[in-house]
Amino acid sequence: MVEALQAMGSVVLDPYLILLILITTIMGVVIGVLPGLGATTGAALLLPFTLTMEPVHAIAVLATIYVSATFAGSITAILINTPGTSAAAATTFDGYPLAQRGEAGRALGIAVVSSTIGGLFSIIVLCIAAPMLARVAYEFRPPEYFALALFGLSMLASISAGGTVRNLMGGVFGVWLATIGAEPTTGIERFMFGNYELYEGLSFVPVFIGLFAMSELLVQSSRVNRLVDKIAMKAVKLPSREDYKRIWKTVLRSCGIGTFIGILPAEGATVASMIGYAEARRWSKNKEEFGKGAIEGIAGAEAANNAATGGAMVPTMVLGIPGSGTTAVILVGLMVHGLRPGPYLFTEQVDKVYQIFGAMLLANLMFMAMGLYASKLFARISLVPLQMLWPIVFALAVIGAYALSSSLLDVWIALIFGVIGFLARRHGFAVAPIAVGLILGEMVETNFQNSLKMFEGNWWQILTQPLAALFLLLAFFGLFSTPIAKWFTSRRS
Amino acid sequence: MRFLIIPGVIAAFSIAVICAAVQLDLSPPMIVGDSLQPRVFPILLMVINLILAALLASQYRKESPGKVQWEGPQTWGSIVLFVIFFPITVYVDMMIGIAVVMFAMCLLWGERRILVAGTLALATPVSIFFLFDLVLRVRFPRGLFTNWYYG
Repeated sequence: MVEALQAMGSVVLDPYLILLILITTIMGVVIGVLPGLGATTGAALLLPFTLTMEPVHAIAVLATIYVSATFAGSITAILINTPGTSAAAATTFDGYPLAQRGEAGRALGIAVVSSTIGGLFSIIVLCIAAPMLARVAYEFRPPEYFALALFGLSMLASISAGGTVRNLMGGVFGVWLATIGAEPTTGIERFMFGNYELYEGLSFVPVFIGLFAMSELLVQSSRVNRLVDKIAMKAVKLPSREDYKRIWKTVLRSCGIGTFIGILPAEGATVASMIGYAEARRWSKNKEEFGKGAIEGIAGAEAANNAATGGAMVPTMVLGIPGSGTTAVILVGLMVHGLRPGPYLFTEQVDKVYQIFGAMLLANLMFMAMGLYASKLFARISLVPLQMLWPIVFALAVIGAYALSSSLLDVWIALIFGVIGFLARRHGFAVAPIAVGLILGEMVETNFQNSLKMFEGNWWQILTQPLAALFLLLAFFGLFSTPIAKWFTSRRS
Repeated sequence: MRFLIIPGVIAAFSIAVICAAVQLDLSPPMIVGDSLQPRVFPILLMVINLILAALLASQYRKESPGKVQWEGPQTWGSIVLFVIFFPITVYVDMMIGIAVVMFAMCLLWGERRILVAGTLALATPVSIFFLFDLVLRVRFPRGLFTNWYYG
């Protein structure tokens, strides 16, 4: 524990890292307030820029983008009724009405404080829960990893936006993409069609840049003529004592909800903020105020979405299972920089892990300062014309896709996946399941093959392993609980 | 029959993958042992996808997915620009390709000031190029501009 605290504390003794976190926090807030450019797109675009950095610095950059962009979405949600990120959608319900009543500064103050408390709480939980989970994960063998990966995919399919069937299809497509290249045990080439650059499989980075950045560019192109109402604000106000009295229970509840949802392998922050908001309303004495500017609504959503950021890092770092699109990018960042995610990360490179946690803690404090003193300025950035912003994103995306392995094929892959992602989103399919499927694909196949070898071809023996059976059961309930409940209801009626 | 279009496209894709998968090489049984041949896993995935496509079709039949709004010229124009980017990059230069696409995209998306669009299209790739070349030490593919720069 002392070593962990020392490692976390060492962050403040590294001036380069502090400067990096400061710059990245500003970038993260800018990314968060720019319409369409969420934490996932931002992290995917910035990943190539981290190539020459030390591993801790690189992951700190990506994690800082994650926490600061997740918070910053609330600035535009409150001031222009446009959530900068999907995680801030619930903040518009009460943030914008409160701002319309001339209390934009108060709304932002509550959002800043709640987000910071949520973020700090989840990092404390991360520091405690991650090593504990890592100790359990040491015992995992191929059947458990196989079942866990399926559980991750099923949770993503059942919880994230897009509908279970469509999300499952996305996940299956992602897992299939992971089969492109040489099969790991036999070396047989699959779906390469003579292109030997694909021998080691599809690179994650260009696929992610395509799915998240390029597809968002195409989505934004249809919103280019949209008009927004901007609300004037004098300054951000810290919550008053009365405000604190009203929101403290909501904030604490949302911290717990957000962290728990974040830990589940699903689309963390967005789902967390929606549930945080719904629970704030359910427990509030002033239900009639919700939708008209209830401060509990802002606090509930904001504390939950930032609490989910730390929670989502738990399965990402301990099990190698991303909790959301952004943590999928962070996971790729870990791999690119030679930090193999999994329980061994907590024994072999524990100091680096805690330095990353320390950096996230610092990032939370920095975005609080920025939120309090520079929200007005950042809100102005959100009004940058789309016709200037997105061509720049195009340039960054193309060069970013190329830079990782200096391959033009990666650029074409990014462009193709941009179009695939756009078409998928156009027809109601989410792209995050494709990305997570791609990451988990190798884990699913390799561990399934190894399980078969373990059990001499008897696949059903996977079910005899208690933990594997538990994960498979959870996956089953995750996928089928809603249809089964519907079936029972229809039978009863 | 409109509800069958998307599940149909997905089913056709899955069948195409299965057809490609059955033509994959077989690994000697000694290497494979008790596990699966490399072709089996992708086939299994696509069979799952076919089942899901059938489920999606039945879902769409009950609740029509709704007509998807046709995007404006900006979206399709941007996709065309992606396509145009390919020959410019391969036959001229990647940086020039980026500048051309950025300039055209600016105008296509509604920027009226040609000077602003031109400045943006020139300044962005040049500054990103120097950042990657001088700081991150990334070499870009040979072309008109890079040949001149690298010598």
